[in-house]
Amino acid sequence: MILRLGRTGKGDGRLSPVTAGSPPQADRSPTALTVRGLRKAFGPKVAVAGIDLDIPHGCFFGLVGPNGAGKTTTLGMVTGLLRPDAGLVVVDGVEVWRDPPAAKRRIGVLPEDLRLFERLTGAELLTYSGLLRGLPAATVEERARELLDVLGLAEAAGTLVVDYSHGMRKKIALAAALLHAPRVLFLDEPFEAIDPVSARTIRGLLERYTEGGATVVFSSHVMELVERLCDRVGIMHLGRLIAEGPTERVRAGRSLEDAFVELVGAERTGPEELGWLGTSSA
Amino acid sequence: MAGHLVRLKLALLRNGLRRSEWQQQVGLVLGALGGLPLAAGGFLLLALVPRAEPRFGLLLVEAVFLGLFLGWLLFPLLSFGGDASLDPARLALLPLRPGGLMAGLFLAGCVGVAPLCTLAALAGGVVGFAPLGPGLVLAVAAVLAQFALCVVGSRALLTALSRQLRSRKARDLGILLVSLAGLSVSLAVQVGARMAERWERLDVEALRPLGRVVGWLPPGLAARALVDAGRGRLLAATVELLAAVVVVLLLGWWWWRSLDRVLTTAEPPARARSRPAAGLFPRAARPFLRADRRGAVAAKELRYLARHPRLRVAWLTSGLLALALVVAAALGGWDHPALVLVALVVVFMLSQNSLNQFGWDGPAYWANVVSGADPRDDLAGRNLAAMLAGLGATAVLAVALAAVTGGWPYLPVALCLAAGVIAVVLGVCDVVSVRFPYPVPEVTSNLWAVQGTGQGCLVGLMQMVAFAVEGLLLLPVFTLVGVGVLVWRPLLAVACPVAVLYGLVVWRVGLGMGARWLRDHQPELLAQLSARRAG
Repeated sequence: MILRLGRTGKGDGRLSPVTAGSPPQADRSPTALTVRGLRKAFGPKVAVAGIDLDIPHGCFFGLVGPNGAGKTTTLGMVTGLLRPDAGLVVVDGVEVWRDPPAAKRRIGVLPEDLRLFERLTGAELLTYSGLLRGLPAATVEERARELLDVLGLAEAAGTLVVDYSHGMRKKIALAAALLHAPRVLFLDEPFEAIDPVSARTIRGLLERYTEGGATVVFSSHVMELVERLCDRVGIMHLGRLIAEGPTERVRAGRSLEDAFVELVGAERTGPEELGWLGTSSA
Repeated sequence: MAGHLVRLKLALLRNGLRRSEWQQQVGLVLGALGGLPLAAGGFLLLALVPRAEPRFGLLLVEAVFLGLFLGWLLFPLLSFGGDASLDPARLALLPLRPGGLMAGLFLAGCVGVAPLCTLAALAGGVVGFAPLGPGLVLAVAAVLAQFALCVVGSRALLTALSRQLRSRKARDLGILLVSLAGLSVSLAVQVGARMAERWERLDVEALRPLGRVVGWLPPGLAARALVDAGRGRLLAATVELLAAVVVVLLLGWWWWRSLDRVLTTAEPPARARSRPAAGLFPRAARPFLRADRRGAVAAKELRYLARHPRLRVAWLTSGLLALALVVAAALGGWDHPALVLVALVVVFMLSQNSLNQFGWDGPAYWANVVSGADPRDDLAGRNLAAMLAGLGATAVLAVALAAVTGGWPYLPVALCLAAGVIAVVLGVCDVVSVRFPYPVPEVTSNLWAVQGTGQGCLVGLMQMVAFAVEGLLLLPVFTLVGVGVLVWRPLLAVACPVAVLYGLVVWRVGLGMGARWLRDHQPELLAQLSARRAG
């Protein structure tokens, strides 16, 4: 699959998936992502304590949880960046830790900490990512130009990444993750520090992307966004997946935020605590 | 307020020690102890020399006071990013008035290793010059005025330039200047040693006009007040002291104005320069690079060679070394044509950067890991960039040396041998750089900082072992070249292809070993490169 980014000939502004030069398709597996018994500990601290998960193709999956719940560690392990202590990860029919190159051809990743090649310009970073993925130079150039246009980075294409704002870094990293039109896209906090206009563009882009059969897995703290975008949602707490399924079922008539707070057991601040707030006479 | 800021400074110093591992704590203590010889040297210079050589008295004090003042102005500028207490913008959100803040920042500026060492050195002036009686009061006041001049001048300049100093370009420039300062200090020590040899023959009178100019600079006023107080010219000393105090007050006023501006005006957004769309591949390297994985990695490496501040320093230092070699050859009348082959030594040293090929990527290496690209292509791309840069440097240096010595026939020999030498070094580097990587901090006030937790010692040890292995592997090549130059010159014609073939074999073996290990350990390498910065 190639995601052609930009307007189609009909001028309807849609992002249309076309098929050419795409990464090899696996035998159509029933799920985009399958995880079984995934575990990771850092010394005595257990970050992920055994996760089982199935995400179907074409799904928009939201992974939510409080800070330190193990979301980023989980995403690291399913994308081949962090070796798990135990467990099985299958992406689009390929076992990630048995055949990493084949699995990585099918995925795109936007990590949370945005550690990029700071001394390349935005355009150079995209060229680098595309060629590293084995795409032909002409394809890389065309897609990079379209992505920079769509994400509003065309003017900053020649600026070093080290001089980018946080939002711009997020967008250029997203562009690099999309460049090879992956089957499954893993995004860690993609909407953090993004301005509302860009957030809308990215939302539209991802929605159209999943319509073409691709799968998006993303973590976020913004419950309204997850509720609005995701067909399925998983809630992590203390390294475990404590709820997972279609968004409607998980929230069970409440808002996702209420369901989340109830499930992780967060306590509300009582009226007797911090009573001095709002009494300042300065 | 002042008490709070002094406690803040003490807490920063204490936490700087507490936060790091014991190896870094030892380093910090040794760094602090490094100030002691400077303090003791300054003290002895000011205390003893004026008594032994009265004719040097004023000139010497003026020179020391000026040196201290310039040191206080320049070094905080270079370490701006590393000392949290130097940036006034960090306090901008607190409800503070510039007056109280200034008093606090001044007192905080008087706390630390550098102020203590400065005071210790200046105390030598009191010992060296002060007579008993009213002159003693004036001498002490002159020394304190010089100290205040250093602290207030330094803070005023820092505050005025704080916005510019926060920019990325200023930090890059800072790293470059620190390295040049290191080189110039060693140069100054050598020049100083030469001067000391000729001290007896030095015509002090020739320096008097220079002294008169320095005497009217702010630190010169304090110096003259000290010397005049010592010689009993109390009126002159009082006037000079008052002038120095006025300068301190003027600097304080400038500081107050700058502080007020920093605390109350919004910072304009940074405007980054957009480069023309030249593409990832540097123009000069395009004929040698294909638009594939290997080529992309090589192109990225070449871009980093030109843009990473610490790689720039490495290349600049080597460039200056090479320039010194060429100049020495030209001025010293060294005309042995085989001198062209000395270019190999510079290139050998320069290619040691590849011992930590992945360190320059740091945590950004995840992009390579997640791409699924074959690690062999990754390593080969890095090697290709190192080879191109190394051969380019050899060519430039060898041509310069050939022009000076007339050793043009040695030029192709130098290039062939350089290819062999670099290939052997890269073969070793391909193994070492995947097994013992360490992240290189992108920007830091400490040019020689090693990122990670207590890796400095192990890294140093491994690099020494790697260096020895490279030396052993290169021994046959250097033996062949030595015999060729000294005994039978036609042997050089044989040495060239042999060196290239030998280099190719060693490189292929090293590349294979490195790539094989990397295929199974990319996440572990990434974890090592993402080590949290300590210290």
